[in-house]
Amino acid sequence: MATLPLTGIRVLELTTGAAGPTVGRTLAEFGAEVIRVESRKRLDSHRGQNEAKWNQRPDFVKLNRGKKSVTINMSVEKGRALMKRLVSKSDVLVENFAMGVLENWGLVYDELKKVKEDIILVRVKGLGSTGPHATDVTWGPNVGNIMGSTYLWNYPESDFSTGEARSQHPDFMGGVTAAYAVVLALIHRKRTGQGQWIDSAQLEVGASLLGPKYLEYHVNGEEPRPMGNYSVTAAPYGAFRCAGEDRWCVIGVYTQEEWLAFCTATGRPALASDARFATHLQRTRNPVALRQAVEEWTGSRDPYEVMESLQAAGVMAAVVQDVEDQFKRDKQYEARGFLVSGDEPELGPLVTEGVPVKLSLTPGGVQGYSPLVGEHTQEVARTLLGLSPSEIETLELEQVLF
Amino acid sequence: MADIGANGPLTGYRVLDLAQPIGYHCGKLLGDMGAEVIKIERPGGDPARLTPPYKDQVPGPERSLYFLHYNTNKRGITLDIASPDGRELFLELVRHADVVLETSKPGTMEALGLGYDTLASMNPAIIIASITPFGQTGPWRAYEATDIAGLALGNPMAISGEPGLEPLQAPGELAYGMASTYGAFGIAVALYHRMESGVGQYIDVSMDESAAHIAGYAIPHYSHEGVKPYRSSRSADVVDLYDAYRTKNGFVRLFIIPAEQWRNLVRWMGDPDPLTDPIFENFEFRRQNTDVVHGAIQEFCLRYTKEELYEEGQKRHIGVSPVNTPVEFINSAHTKSRGVFVDMEHPVVGSYKQFAPVPRFSGSPGRLVRSAPLLGQDNEAVFCGELGLSKQDLAALTAARVI
Repeated sequence: MATLPLTGIRVLELTTGAAGPTVGRTLAEFGAEVIRVESRKRLDSHRGQNEAKWNQRPDFVKLNRGKKSVTINMSVEKGRALMKRLVSKSDVLVENFAMGVLENWGLVYDELKKVKEDIILVRVKGLGSTGPHATDVTWGPNVGNIMGSTYLWNYPESDFSTGEARSQHPDFMGGVTAAYAVVLALIHRKRTGQGQWIDSAQLEVGASLLGPKYLEYHVNGEEPRPMGNYSVTAAPYGAFRCAGEDRWCVIGVYTQEEWLAFCTATGRPALASDARFATHLQRTRNPVALRQAVEEWTGSRDPYEVMESLQAAGVMAAVVQDVEDQFKRDKQYEARGFLVSGDEPELGPLVTEGVPVKLSLTPGGVQGYSPLVGEHTQEVARTLLGLSPSEIETLELEQVLF
Repeated sequence: MADIGANGPLTGYRVLDLAQPIGYHCGKLLGDMGAEVIKIERPGGDPARLTPPYKDQVPGPERSLYFLHYNTNKRGITLDIASPDGRELFLELVRHADVVLETSKPGTMEALGLGYDTLASMNPAIIIASITPFGQTGPWRAYEATDIAGLALGNPMAISGEPGLEPLQAPGELAYGMASTYGAFGIAVALYHRMESGVGQYIDVSMDESAAHIAGYAIPHYSHEGVKPYRSSRSADVVDLYDAYRTKNGFVRLFIIPAEQWRNLVRWMGDPDPLTDPIFENFEFRRQNTDVVHGAIQEFCLRYTKEELYEEGQKRHIGVSPVNTPVEFINSAHTKSRGVFVDMEHPVVGSYKQFAPVPRFSGSPGRLVRSAPLLGQDNEAVFCGELGLSKQDLAALTAARVI
């Protein structure tokens, strides 16, 4: 197997939740040695509150597969001293604790630099490391609402609070963006010999995709509103009801040629000469009738049949897949091997998402299972910290390596 | 190279950017971090120049605010790479470039004689990144797909919107954004690898797979427990505390996991029964009893404005924040203090505020150095200044619609 590009890079993690762990996971997939530093005194929220299940959480696996785990109690001086020794042997520290935690531990960038001159520190925070709300308690789900995404992700004129996906997109995009930043800092270090620290705000990463919305206000003075499924260039456009309970297929018709292809593919050439739908403009003016015309055809068909027959005619169509579909009916995942099966020590077999970016020479990939709490404490204490077995035993009894 | 890092960590690297919107954010991430990104448009202009919103709602190729946002920091040339002369000029550019970013249908570049092997034979260090809806392989690789298709197939839409109603796409292009972010990450990794090995490589990014990464933990949970998340505000397994609560003037979102934050909230609410029972400190339990939890919190939130709940809640160390409109985000003290928006000038749009590069680097910060290019703005500088064409050549190639 070819050496992965980040082989030899050691990354320490002081992380919790999703955004911080996603940084380390993404780097691990390309060969970095990623060591989670955690403590039984206060574990990652994704380890859960039930001690018996600390090593058995599927969500934790997604975020931490391929890493090591070392337990160090950072609330005592001896623990913090050991952490500094680890930093002195490492290239990168990723942290996403509440603002002030690293400061309390004496692990801010200037202190880290004293033990490792060219260290790269990435601080992943909901709202960033500066500003009046830097110390806010935030999690991915309550970041999207600060940037305007939660407000905009809704039906037009809706009374519902939001239609936003019950997920935490700012965490995942923020995590991968911060991993990008770490690699850029590694490039800079290789060119100049200098480390640095990176202030990464999930809020700003997510908000950067709303740039055109903010420009509507900055340039035109317009206040963006929720638009539902909306495209200015396509009609029909949106999710359309198919056969089965709560089954939908997305369709987008962008050109007149595609509209004619749609009418032919759905066996209704007469639609093409219907004056209400003759042009893009006409179709946007008759949305209710247009939806009805589309759903007359989709409503009695399986969503995959809708997708396949429209795609065969060159019309964009995509099934609104639920997770069961992703496992059982997505031929593309299957052909590309996107879903990766792993074997977790306590949980058993578990499938997680694979790597969406394939590099031809250094392909990367899932590097193994997620670590048990403290699984690598002994190994790291011996090899990196140079401690003897009796010293390790003492530190464990003192609840320092804990 | 005395100016290493002067405009960000990628200062000195050159990217040829053939991307359509699926890869816009990728080119932007590279350009914002200092790479010289040369956007190559077809002679008539990138179709996305005609994507609303427009300056003053008046359509025009230099008036699209969508184009403006995503193409800031890029230089711009026009070139028909499908024509024989255009192809030669493109190959000449590849000799002096580090990265080619493209988003055409799988097989298109090969059909033009511009596949990876051809480009690498001229420049073994070149890195080619293709960002496409489904990647380069698999039965769906040639299918049509825009952003909404990524969100549909990847599961985010299945968990967006109200039960029974149409599933909803995201505002902003989240599937494009995630694919582009993975693209930028892959390019950075390949550049780092090249610093030692001296050789480039080919990068295949799938939007379909990228979008699946933003749907939370549906895949591992389904694998283990067989559970399916679905569109629902407050009744399903992983959704209750994602919900927004109505206040006197809009909504707030409360998201609480640690027990002490839950206790803080219950204390603030005046210790109502039965929430004081320690069993509610376990958030799994709260998820199974959303009706009780929800009703009590909702009643409490209605007594305040969203700003009051945000200020006081954060003082009490509770994960609460307002559901802002985009304008409220723009005008917030935090956004202003972070310098999220930077003053820029564009010849047609005039002065405007551009989103600043993120994340922030202490030693080699990204910069905004130029506004989005006018159509063909850098043709003379690139073709005459760098490739050595005469002005007559340039005029002839322009007349022939190669440039």
